Amino acid sequence: MQMKKNTVITGIGIVSPIGIGRDAFWENLFLGKCGIKQITLFDTKDLNVKSGGEISDFNPHKILNEKTLMDLDRATLLLLCAAKYCLEDADFSVNEDNSTRTAVSVGTTFGSIFSISRFNRESFTEGPRYVNPSIFPSTVGNSAASRIAIKFKIKGFNSTISTGMCAALDALDYARDAIELDRAEQVLVGCVEDLSIQAFLGFYKLKYLSGVKNNTPLLSCPFDKRRDGIVFSEGATVFLLQTNGSASNAHVYGKILGIGSCFDPAKFYRYSPKGEGMKEAMRLALKDAGLEPKDIDCVFANANSTKDADAIESRAIREVFGKKAEDVLVTAIKSMVGETVSNSGGIALAAALAAIDKQMIPPTINYLQKDTNCDLNYVINNPKKNKVSRVLVNCFGPNGTNTSVIVGK
Amino acid sequence: MKMMDTDKRIVVTGMGIISSLGIGKDEFWKNLIQGKSGISKVDAFDTAEHATHFGGQVKGFDAEDFLSKNKIKMMGRASHLAIAAAKLAIKDAGLDIKKFNCEELAILLGTTAGEAQEIEEMDEIWLKKGVDAVDNWSIVQYPVSNISSNVALELKVKGKNRMFTTACAAGNYAISYGVDLIKLGKADIVFAGGSDAFSYLGFTGFNQVRAVAPEKCQPFDKNRKGMIPGEGAAILVLESLKSAHKRNAEIYAEILGCGFSCDAFHMTNPQIDGVGRCVQNALERTGVNPEDVDYICAHGTGTRHNDKTECAAINKVFGNRKVAVSSIKSMLGHTMGAASAIEAMACCLATKFDIVPPTINFETPDPECDIDCVPNKARKQKVNIALNNGFAFGGNNACLVIKKIK
Repeated sequence: MQMKKNTVITGIGIVSPIGIGRDAFWENLFLGKCGIKQITLFDTKDLNVKSGGEISDFNPHKILNEKTLMDLDRATLLLLCAAKYCLEDADFSVNEDNSTRTAVSVGTTFGSIFSISRFNRESFTEGPRYVNPSIFPSTVGNSAASRIAIKFKIKGFNSTISTGMCAALDALDYARDAIELDRAEQVLVGCVEDLSIQAFLGFYKLKYLSGVKNNTPLLSCPFDKRRDGIVFSEGATVFLLQTNGSASNAHVYGKILGIGSCFDPAKFYRYSPKGEGMKEAMRLALKDAGLEPKDIDCVFANANSTKDADAIESRAIREVFGKKAEDVLVTAIKSMVGETVSNSGGIALAAALAAIDKQMIPPTINYLQKDTNCDLNYVINNPKKNKVSRVLVNCFGPNGTNTSVIVGK
Repeated sequence: MKMMDTDKRIVVTGMGIISSLGIGKDEFWKNLIQGKSGISKVDAFDTAEHATHFGGQVKGFDAEDFLSKNKIKMMGRASHLAIAAAKLAIKDAGLDIKKFNCEELAILLGTTAGEAQEIEEMDEIWLKKGVDAVDNWSIVQYPVSNISSNVALELKVKGKNRMFTTACAAGNYAISYGVDLIKLGKADIVFAGGSDAFSYLGFTGFNQVRAVAPEKCQPFDKNRKGMIPGEGAAILVLESLKSAHKRNAEIYAEILGCGFSCDAFHMTNPQIDGVGRCVQNALERTGVNPEDVDYICAHGTGTRHNDKTECAAINKVFGNRKVAVSSIKSMLGHTMGAASAIEAMACCLATKFDIVPPTINFETPDPECDIDCVPNKARKQKVNIALNNGFAFGGNNACLVIKKIK
């Protein structure tokens, strides 16, 4: 049996509703800042829900130092900026010597839907011979990932995975496997989702959004009895994943200890009530890391303020952790940043690395009313100073995908 | 815990395909080596206002042969095609998937457009009747992640589930990851492939970038006029040689591995350097010498630029030696995310039967495509090692290495 390689994270780049750049994001995370605001990116006149996790102060021209970014869609711009921040944070520059040994692995599901829809609409309105051809290359799912490669001259493999809520962690899984098999020395692992009306409308129509059912105020309050759906949000996160060896001089934020992934073929577009897939994903991550529940200090839950999902996850954590379920601290940062779908695993991982760095756990904000179906040891409303050596990050989707990652010091 | 063993040999033991050249591998292969064309007049939507009117639509497919009416309504065409291909692959492999647990089975698929037809429906209703009129069904069906999860739901497969959206090379990405997962001890049996449904978006888009030929696809021909958009799905069953022997399975071929590269240059303009590095990477990783390669299943879209670039890259890697290179896109059109999976299947069958499928519609040699393109007629020749090229928008390149199993 060959020795497993250690993969570590040496750079974090983030563009989020509660901060652009790692420092701003980390700071606001512990301040319990809420990133939910009135949507300005599209007209909400005909919709019941008018708020989301919009990144309002996003200025890609300034960040990328480029005058013309005409034909790039918002998802691509968010990801490009996060990638730039990540490379700067890691103090890593792509050059002729390392470019073919550097790769890109991205998770996004709705990243190109804005451009697809824009193309369709222009074509339906103007006729198929009059649609602007320069939109077409942005309609493919790998557009954003490819533009990272083009911008930063990254010549190793370039992959895009689209598995909904789990896409970020699945892209990380892919990158780790690739490093293990020596397909690359370092991988930019990224994820992105933008606040487009197309993606928003999907969640709206399916009544997944908070406030859509009965005009209750829009609120992301995971585990709270009042929760009634997600707040749709946007963002991009990029990490630099390296082997321990190639990162010898770099600052190491954390090490990927284990990843577990399991599909739950229960029902079409419903969270599986027993959470079998969630439990299996957590167990597989523990097994992969060679750890026991007692070794985990904190869980960054998937909890997105959905009635079913938060309760199912709480029960699943309780079952997996057994006697240790009372000890482990649980937090849901989606209370602050909303549901960013494919980006959610990345933003949670960036927050988990903050917890390890600061030895402090960010809070689940907006928590007021206890729900007997969610009865774990949550970090509520204020951050908590605590030993944080190993964190479990969960991502689950209603389409049956479940992936958990354990990251450690 | 399962052991990681990078020396593990991975083989293909099942194939399922839905294509314009036939449903199921036998019909597909028969038509492929007869050099038949799957191109016909597009009837998926009205093309009156488009510059071209031909496509590689799958016309002989009835989703009801594979799925209940109720389920058909709940998903888009790319999922129908993928589920049908998966069911054919399982049957072909003689697998009883109920016998396997969560960690043991994985579903890895690739696509370019996903359920693009559903987004088109949403946009059309939205434009005509406003946001309230958009129905929930088109919304629930459009996420690209649905294809692999619909297959897993239908087959009740609990293992890793991944959807690669690396455009026209996605099938190779999925198959390569399948090989890697088995080597890493993270899966025992993998269903890997790709699926794409004929989409207005793709047809219009390729037409708008002037990449579509009016009636026929003529890769490597001096007068080639472009690609022809197509559709289809192909799924391969991958497992270790040991596992295949244990269940006495029929083996089609061995997959030695896959090489990757990114042009890092332009979204739609492939580069000799990037494509060449990809093929080189594939050879290096699998320890195969260029002189041992017998056949290259080209990406060969039939556009001026792709074919010229691909031929130059091949000649750069292989020097003066002329390897048999053919493009089955001449027959199927470009099936997008399914293309490299279908082509991988063609490579496996080429090694099994020692027959190289042809590049049809070839009339006039092009000095810029200085290769042996196996023109118009399949060729009986030894195929011990085959390469399968897949190049995507964004310069995402993947090349699979397939070996005859003796």
